[in-house]
Amino acid sequence: MIPLLTLFAAVNDFFSAVFGVLLAPFGEELDWSAWVDVTLWSVAGGIVALIVYKYVSNQKGIEKTKNQIKVHLLEIRLFKEDILSVFAATGKILVKNALYIGHNLLPVAVMLGPMLAIMIQLVALYAWEPSETGSEQLLKVALDAEHPAVASGEIRPTDVELLLPDGVRQLSPPVRTAHGQIVWKLQADTAGEHVLRLVAGGITVEKRWAVGPDAPTRVPVMRTKTWESLLYPGEDPMPADAPLLSASVAYSSRDLGWMPGGELGILMMFFALSLGAGIALKGVFKVTL
Amino acid sequence: MIRNLRIIALVLLWVLAATRPAHAYIGPGAGFAVAGSMFVLLTTFVLAFGTILIFPLRLLWRLIVTGNPFKHAKVKRVVILGLDGMDPGIATRFMQEGKLPNFQKLADKGVFRPLQTSTPSMSPVAWSSFTTGVDPSRHNIYDFLTRDPCNYAPMLSSTDIRSAKKVLNIGKYVIPLGKPSIKLLQKSQAFWKLLGDKHIGSTIQRVPITFPPVKFNGLLLSGMCVPDLLGTQGTFSFFSTKQSEEGHAAFTGGEQTVLRRRGNTIRSRILGPANGMLKGAPPMTIPFTVKIAADKRSASFSFDDLDDTFTLKVGEYSEWIDLAFSAGLGQKVHGIARFCITEIDPDFNLYMTPIHIDPENPAMPISHPTVYSIYLAKKLGRFATLGLAEDTWALNERVIDEEVFYKQAMLIADERIAMFKDALQRTKKGLVTCVFDTTDRVQHMFYRYLDPTHPANAGKDTERWSTAIEQVYQRMDAMVGDLLPELDREDTTFVIMSDHGFTNFRRGVNLNAWLKENGYLFLTDDVETSGDWFESVDWSRTKAFSLGLTGMFINRKGREAKGIVAEGAEYRQVRDEICAKLKELVDPTTGEKCILDVFPATEHFEGPYRFDAPDLIIGYDGGYRNSWDCATGSVPKEVFSDNTKSWSGDHCVDPRIVPGVFFCNRPITTETPHILDMAPSTLKQFGVDIPDYMQGQPIFTDPGQGGPVSGPLDPTTLSQSGSAPGALVHKDGQASAAAPASTTDASATPPAGGAVTSPAEPAS
Repeated sequence: MIPLLTLFAAVNDFFSAVFGVLLAPFGEELDWSAWVDVTLWSVAGGIVALIVYKYVSNQKGIEKTKNQIKVHLLEIRLFKEDILSVFAATGKILVKNALYIGHNLLPVAVMLGPMLAIMIQLVALYAWEPSETGSEQLLKVALDAEHPAVASGEIRPTDVELLLPDGVRQLSPPVRTAHGQIVWKLQADTAGEHVLRLVAGGITVEKRWAVGPDAPTRVPVMRTKTWESLLYPGEDPMPADAPLLSASVAYSSRDLGWMPGGELGILMMFFALSLGAGIALKGVFKVTL
Repeated sequence: MIRNLRIIALVLLWVLAATRPAHAYIGPGAGFAVAGSMFVLLTTFVLAFGTILIFPLRLLWRLIVTGNPFKHAKVKRVVILGLDGMDPGIATRFMQEGKLPNFQKLADKGVFRPLQTSTPSMSPVAWSSFTTGVDPSRHNIYDFLTRDPCNYAPMLSSTDIRSAKKVLNIGKYVIPLGKPSIKLLQKSQAFWKLLGDKHIGSTIQRVPITFPPVKFNGLLLSGMCVPDLLGTQGTFSFFSTKQSEEGHAAFTGGEQTVLRRRGNTIRSRILGPANGMLKGAPPMTIPFTVKIAADKRSASFSFDDLDDTFTLKVGEYSEWIDLAFSAGLGQKVHGIARFCITEIDPDFNLYMTPIHIDPENPAMPISHPTVYSIYLAKKLGRFATLGLAEDTWALNERVIDEEVFYKQAMLIADERIAMFKDALQRTKKGLVTCVFDTTDRVQHMFYRYLDPTHPANAGKDTERWSTAIEQVYQRMDAMVGDLLPELDREDTTFVIMSDHGFTNFRRGVNLNAWLKENGYLFLTDDVETSGDWFESVDWSRTKAFSLGLTGMFINRKGREAKGIVAEGAEYRQVRDEICAKLKELVDPTTGEKCILDVFPATEHFEGPYRFDAPDLIIGYDGGYRNSWDCATGSVPKEVFSDNTKSWSGDHCVDPRIVPGVFFCNRPITTETPHILDMAPSTLKQFGVDIPDYMQGQPIFTDPGQGGPVSGPLDPTTLSQSGSAPGALVHKDGQASAAAPASTTDASATPPAGGAVTSPAEPAS
């Protein structure tokens, strides 16, 4: 059986490669703002979702259910003098709404994979700004409480050692919490993709830190052992045998002009734009949402 | 609206912000579901909880301002079921034969009497009197058509539709700056508006002359005179590979498109309404493809740019097909139509009903409030909205046969029944009124089956559909049977009524030709006849003319654009002279007088709009009516002609011989109820004051009390006259044979008299 983290790494590598090809004509080649890319990808995502939705969902069932909901809404509007009718119609709407959500489960399940891939790639590509040269940054590391050595107390937060490459300085002693977290305050004096080495229990784990304008397109935010490694394709997952659960650098959000930046900003924009595109184009693709 | 959007946006943001970023990875798929159901929930919340929260306040306000609206009401609900054209003679005959057990039950328990009708006795007039409680001189509807006194051109009596006054020209587009004006020309006011003013709600369905709908406290779906999407009173389409010598064929009431067949595939297009947004207003079209199945029993249809595809067998109707015509700039005009293949091989003939206004996306207001038609369509499915929904002209022109027409009529009746039942279910207190046209249309088109000697029988089937009228009456009886348990209650007044009865229409009379023969109408020097709409009439010499189904106008100075008859003595002399001569008019074929009476408007009416009335209303005897070409203002050589059209029964005669029916679940106070009595009677049932201007009298007795008039109709009181064989009943209660003559020769002498009794006193 393939270990889950290996599978996550493969999935991320695959989609990163695909997006690498798809993104080739865009981005810096055309020297346009990143928000244009986000917009285009969101709209494309909306269209893909629309087409998938059309063929996967029970269009007649959805149409019928929506129709019934509208009938009951109109009942409330038309027969407002009959309070019992209003109650009955309200109850029926709630039931029909549940049915409507039920009709959406299958298309949501089918679309979840491709949509996640698009969003993960968008976040990885556009959510964060590499650190500026000379800026201060926090490196957060968490011990894996389930690792035998950590669980037995053989490895404690004080046993984790950070080895810095040239051009990176530690500004203050690390802060260690009782919950197994260690935080270092670092400063990079030179640009580049610096490799920070974390040593614990004889195992060395690398964590990259992107500094300066020539940093990679996918900013290495976090290495982790959990499913969340799927969300951060900038780096491979944390090795399964490492006593560390995660290591992350807190980058600042990328400036996307008028768009809200950061992970949440991009997710919100993707949600809003793809949904807007889907609703706007449902007539063109003859889809009942 | 903006507030609602803000609320939705805030809730959406809250949902997103409240979750961890990873949880927001749900994408548009789930977004569609979330956004959709959120929207539904929010709308429900706003509507339902708003309504529930405000309800006590509204109730309190109403109690303070008006008190309990039903405080003086004698019943909770009045239900009036209108069966247009249901004839007391025909009904009595079928009841005597035991074919209408539920009508019989209602008559036995309550009452059944003829209902005196309006003058003239036609639906727009009679139903307007029903609606307003006043005669035509007060509601101003005298016919379907009247003439424009400015130019003698025909105009619809009930509605005035005008396009937007100002437009903006941009390139090829003409953008209207404002809405088109649609105005109801009926005067006075509906009695359900008076009820609404007292907070007694009503649901009114398909009562004629209610387009455009007038605002009131209740629900209303417009009926007769709602136009089709082309703006006409019904234009069918006939697609055929048959070709006349001229390369096309034209019909009254419809248009033929000549088809070319390539193998089993046919391409054509549906002609829609004129596109007012383009210069020149070209018609909007929807191209479509028909593929005939290899076994030649069915064909599949697909429409360019539309979702609907369907397969039809020969003689089978399609569902209502949504025809969305694109006007450009993202604008669409929605109509609906049914299709029926009448022949598939060797010729392919396709009939398409007139394009009805789509009740789900109405291009014009056909209900009050507008969402009422949307509600009905969404709940019960799309339905016929055209005023004259049953396509009588398609059968008249033999584009369809009796079977296809009858199926269409029954489909519409079924839609109406569902609608009526919904109204009854929804309106537990107040007024419910629904009018069914099926009885009228089927009698118009199948009356010839009751008269084997009818001129319209020549070359047509006279057997297969001989029970069509009976079947429709029985269909209505079955519906009444379904409803009686719910409606025959102490707290409900249940009325079944018709606006007029029926009689035979064997011979057409062209009064314009008669006026010309008698020196009252002149044509321009070089012609002997005139086409439609007074094409060649010399107005400088013409004293009188006829237009529509019963009216004759004097060419009065000061009223008509080129009037020559002076008011006063000259007017009275011309009018009386014509009146006297018409009463003596004899059909040379039968040697019988064809007119029972003539009603001069100035003597018959007293209302403020009598000046606009036709000066003479012709009271034909049974069997006669204005000829088809007289109704459209043409002047042929012959005065009399056989009516050979399938439209073989009519009621545009002396109103005294075509009363309607009146059934009620309680006794009444008069032997001669009148259609004018319906409005004041209903107002009184709800304890609402009867306005002084209403001309009828309240006739219902109070619940639980007896009354002077009850029980079934005495057949001897029936005032049928002329050749009305469908209504012949034995006075001893036995039905007679309908056919007095054994011949089927269409030119044979019509049966005379029959169960003739003297006409009752003129309707006031």
